[in-house]
Formats: sequence, C-alpha cells, structure tokens
Amino acid sequence: MLLAALCLSSLFFFRDHPHVVAVQQSAIDTVAVATGVILAPVEAWERMAAAMNSRSELQDEVLRLQQENRVLKGQSQRLAALLSENARYKALLRSAQLIDDELIAAQITAVSPDPSRHIVVIDKGLLDGVREGQAMLGEEGLMGQVILSGDRNSRAVLITDSVHALPVQVNRSGLRAIAEGSGLIDQLLIRHLAAKSDIRVGDLLVTSGLGGRFPNGYPVARVTEVVISEGEAFALVTAEPISALDRGRHVLVLQRTVGSEAES
Amino acid sequence: MEQARSSWVIYLSLACALLFMLLPFPLEWRVLRPDIATLTLFYWVLALPHRVGVTTAFFLGLGQDLIEGSPIGLSSLGLMVSVLVLQSNYQRIRQFDGVQQSLMILVLLMLSSGLEQWLRNGIEMPNLPWMGFMGLLCSAGCWLVVREILRFFRRYYEVN
Repeated sequence: MLLAALCLSSLFFFRDHPHVVAVQQSAIDTVAVATGVILAPVEAWERMAAAMNSRSELQDEVLRLQQENRVLKGQSQRLAALLSENARYKALLRSAQLIDDELIAAQITAVSPDPSRHIVVIDKGLLDGVREGQAMLGEEGLMGQVILSGDRNSRAVLITDSVHALPVQVNRSGLRAIAEGSGLIDQLLIRHLAAKSDIRVGDLLVTSGLGGRFPNGYPVARVTEVVISEGEAFALVTAEPISALDRGRHVLVLQRTVGSEAES
Repeated sequence: MEQARSSWVIYLSLACALLFMLLPFPLEWRVLRPDIATLTLFYWVLALPHRVGVTTAFFLGLGQDLIEGSPIGLSSLGLMVSVLVLQSNYQRIRQFDGVQQSLMILVLLMLSSGLEQWLRNGIEMPNLPWMGFMGLLCSAGCWLVVREILRFFRRYYEVN
C-alpha cells in the first residue's frame, strides 16, 4: 500500500523534483555503461572486420573523403563571406546579438526500450557541454533535442516522437507552422494550418527559431502530402524528416553560445 | 520460517533479465521484445512466494523505468498489482499445464501493462501502439522457456 502510494506520488507530484531528476541522471550513465558491456562483443567484431578491410578500399575512401573535404572547404569560403556580410547587415539593423553555434560530435549508443517513444542515448554529457534543450543534428538536418543529461551520456528525443512538436517555417514562402511528431519514424504532421495556406508537396521546412529552443534555419523535413478536404478549416500536411532518424550513429549537438555585440 | 538460501540467484537473474532490455532492437520492432524481466519476476513469485513479492516488484519496476527513461513509478504499480494477484493464486496456477499457464501469464501481463497505460493517460504520455499486444503475446510465448531455464537454476543452486 505504502509502495503504491509512493509510485503514484512520484508520478503525479514529484515527477520533476530535483532529487528524482538526479536519480534519473545518474541512471543514464549507469545504463550506458551496462549497454557498453553488453555490446562489447559486437563492437569487437566490428573492429575486427574494419581491420580486415583491404588497403585499396581504404585508399579509395581516403580519396573520396579528400575530394569531399575540398568541395566542403570551397563551399565554406563562400559561407564565411556571406556570414560576415550578414553580420554587417545585422549590425546596420541594430539587431542585438549574433549567435554562434558550436557543434559537439556525438554517437548514438542506444535506443530506449520503450516502444511508444522515440528516445535515443548519446555518448556525450554534462562534462562535454551537452545540456538539456540543445538541438541534435544529423548529417542532413535536425534530428531532435536533448532532454536529460548525465555526466557522460545524455538522452535525446527525436522530432518524430509523438509528444514532440517544433516550430517550423516553409522555406519558400516563410509560412510558419508547428510540426508535430506522429510516432512513426518517417512522418511529421502539421495539423493547424488554414486550408488556404501557401504550402505544396516538396516544400522544405526549416526551423523557424520561434520559442527560442531551436536555432532558426536548420532543415527539418520535406512536405510529402497536403490534404485539403471540402468544408474543413484546416489542411492536414504530412512531411518526411530530412535526416534518416533510424539510420546512422553520428550526430552533432548544437551548443549555442550567444556571441558578443555584432562587429561593425 | 527457515533460513533463506542462495537468494542471490533470484536477484542476479532479475538483474540479467533487466539487462536483456538493453539489447539493441530495430526501432520499429521494439514492440515485439519479450518482457523477460517481468516473466522472471512472475517465475520467482510462483516458485517462492514467501521470498519474492510486491516489494521486489516495486524495485524491478523502478529499474525498468530508469532504463527506459520514463517517469519513475510508471511500471511499478502494474507489476505490484499483478504480483499480488499471482501471490493469492499461486497454488492453483502451479497445477496448470504449460498452455494454461502461458495464458494465465498473458492475462497477468495484460493486467500490468493495462495499468501502465492507464497511468500513461493520467500523466499524458503517449500510449503503446496496438502492436503492443503482439509484444505481450511474444512475452507469454517465452514463458515456458523462461520457466525451464529458471527452474534449472533454482534446482541447481537449491534456492528456497
């Protein structure tokens, strides 16, 4: 009876109590260590397989990466010029602060066993500067956000989780909307958009930066379907996340540092 | 009451069953993962109802919640109630044959996960998808295997 009362009170009253959160935080690290131990044989096997890779394959890969690096460097030159130009414009417009985004590279180490949620564990935590609320990026676009950090590991929720929603805007028209997770790994929903809104299949959705949680301008999803039914006030828009949320292990965590006043 | 013997086997098996939750499963197939931890708990309650009971169920539930990252106490209540039911009927359930026992375990699993769903609604967490029922069927299907393995260990170490 007492234990049942304890359960209910911890669920309904003390869910966000500092002590409870502290226990959960330390559990993240413990669980991550246990996962590491369990997965050790798999890792060892993968490492052995990598060591067996032939020399020519590796050379090919180095060549490919070098080319890719050159292309990226070329693109970033232009980006640097644009950034400074942008900074000058912002200074002219007297917008208060510039925001520098710093990236922390992390790896997804586990997926939460709870089948109703899309939660992953990444291998960077408070000691690496990963905090609750930071955005998590994949190679192509936004993946999710950090919800709880332990010392060395964190838990992050993906944008498709069915209780997650984020403010986006259509890149083409600037139309703002809220993209909700659907609980399916390849689908986001936009529910409350007037039926006459300017949104089409193929439109790119980017973060709008409203709400202050996600920085603006990161690609999120591409619209796959717009359903406008007769007599309905709202269109039902579905979109597919740009980054493959269920593939790949490498992610980036955006550490926002609010920069000093814009240099003139 | 006689002295407890080799009770570490019980706790070790429960811990190993919890570790089973950590094995990687593809995102879309997690629903079908058999709930070995709960089955292990049910086995020990059935075999040694004087050793394992509601308190163990409570702590196992805590462990599950910490591993899943769900709010603390979510799994405990369902486990506690189903263990209570099991404890008051263990003599009858012990007499059942394999199929009957698996069906009984299915009912108990439905009871505990049903309570969990009810709590999830209360705190506005997403519910399990309907495929979750298939997961319960998988778990119930694993019951006989789990029972045989744990029975072997119980006899080998003479746990009582």
